[in-house]
Amino acid sequence: MPDDNYGLDLHCSMILDDYRSSLAVFEQMKGIVMEAISNSLNENNLVVTALESRVKTESSLAGKLALKGHKYRELSDLTDILGVRVITFYSDEVDKIAALIQEKFDIDWENSVDKRKQHALESFGYMSLHYICRIPESIYKDPAHPEVNTFRFEVQMRTALQHVWANMYHDTGYKSGFEIPHEHLRSLNRLAGVLELADDEFSRIRIQINDYRRKVQALVKDNDFDDVPLNGDTFKSYLDLNPFSTLNKKIAAINQAEIQELNLMFFLEPLKKLGFTTLGEVERMKAECSEYAYKLAVHQIGKTDLDIVSSAIGLQNLCITYIIKHEGSIKELAYFFDTLNGPSDYNRQQAERIYQQVNKLRLQSIK
Amino acid sequence: MDVKINKVDNKFDVILTGRLDTTNADQFQKDIEILMEGENPDITLDCKDMEYTSSQGLRMFLMLQKSVNARGGKLVMKDMKPQVKEVFDITGFSNIIKII
Repeated sequence: MPDDNYGLDLHCSMILDDYRSSLAVFEQMKGIVMEAISNSLNENNLVVTALESRVKTESSLAGKLALKGHKYRELSDLTDILGVRVITFYSDEVDKIAALIQEKFDIDWENSVDKRKQHALESFGYMSLHYICRIPESIYKDPAHPEVNTFRFEVQMRTALQHVWANMYHDTGYKSGFEIPHEHLRSLNRLAGVLELADDEFSRIRIQINDYRRKVQALVKDNDFDDVPLNGDTFKSYLDLNPFSTLNKKIAAINQAEIQELNLMFFLEPLKKLGFTTLGEVERMKAECSEYAYKLAVHQIGKTDLDIVSSAIGLQNLCITYIIKHEGSIKELAYFFDTLNGPSDYNRQQAERIYQQVNKLRLQSIK
Repeated sequence: MDVKINKVDNKFDVILTGRLDTTNADQFQKDIEILMEGENPDITLDCKDMEYTSSQGLRMFLMLQKSVNARGGKLVMKDMKPQVKEVFDITGFSNIIKII
């Protein structure tokens, strides 16, 4: 037995000894629990702010035993030697996480506590959901270490804001028994109320954004483009409809080329810079410029034996045609390539070359 | 196509000289095998002496770009001759590979 028993009495020293000899088991449990939760989050596409765990340190346990060791008959009575914390972005996600934890582990309901529901109507403070759990044999079983399934552990679930408040509160030293003056305690609790309000607001805003997204996606799906503003969300939904595939296939057919599929999201900023504000305007550009975009491609690749093109070719040629059609200069065309591919001296050369081709082709009739 | 590779840690400076087409694409693939290995490669293809690339060459560059992306690396092509750059532009490959 180590010399240092932290001045504990015999009973508490024995619990501390048990802890020392069981430390490897708790570390093993930590790995099992973290893997199970992490897999479950991934399977359910849940993203959390943090998933963290710790096995209580010897000195921390000794401190706890010194304060209230008489409450525990044996080591297994302590439920927080292994502690896991799941911190969510939104308050409604805490319940989703709780459902996953219930599904994965055996819950000791008698000792689990929902601090969110403990507050009286007029009080605010620590908000967190604590489950006391055991690892079921369905997840892990080792006859040599049955304690893996009998020792309990604690899972705390709360939002990022609740976590911030809890840490601030902890920082005040409540654990050490230091008594906080009433006025400061009141300030802290008042802050808890503000954060609770902020948590609710974040959830409400997210619900509104999701509603908006669903509405816009429905408009895009119904080809009701005029009412749909051009932004990251709507453009992504629009691209899901493969709006340029007909033109791309037509261009590819010039040389029986294969089409290398590319995510066209990088066209969003160039399209905005061209002045497009709705998907309806993009659709109109497609209708008005497709013929010449194709002719340009015939002129460019028809004389070559190139038999591979990227799926950006259709939209790129549409934009080029649109700029020329709207009296755009070489400078404006070069600026388009700057926004599309990043600033480069090549862009001016590319713009000049295209204007030469346009003149040669007498594509001025575009205008 | 002549390929000269200078490697320092994960940084590769590659000088490409000549034409890249179906006749030498297989050899080119072997020449650049070293670029297809390792994490976070930082690859610069110096193209000032590259005269031409065919579709087969574009496929090789595409394969290299995908491999680099998968390994969290960076690929740039620099100092292209106008006739080579035009091949990238008219096929939409300028949107796939960073050209400086």
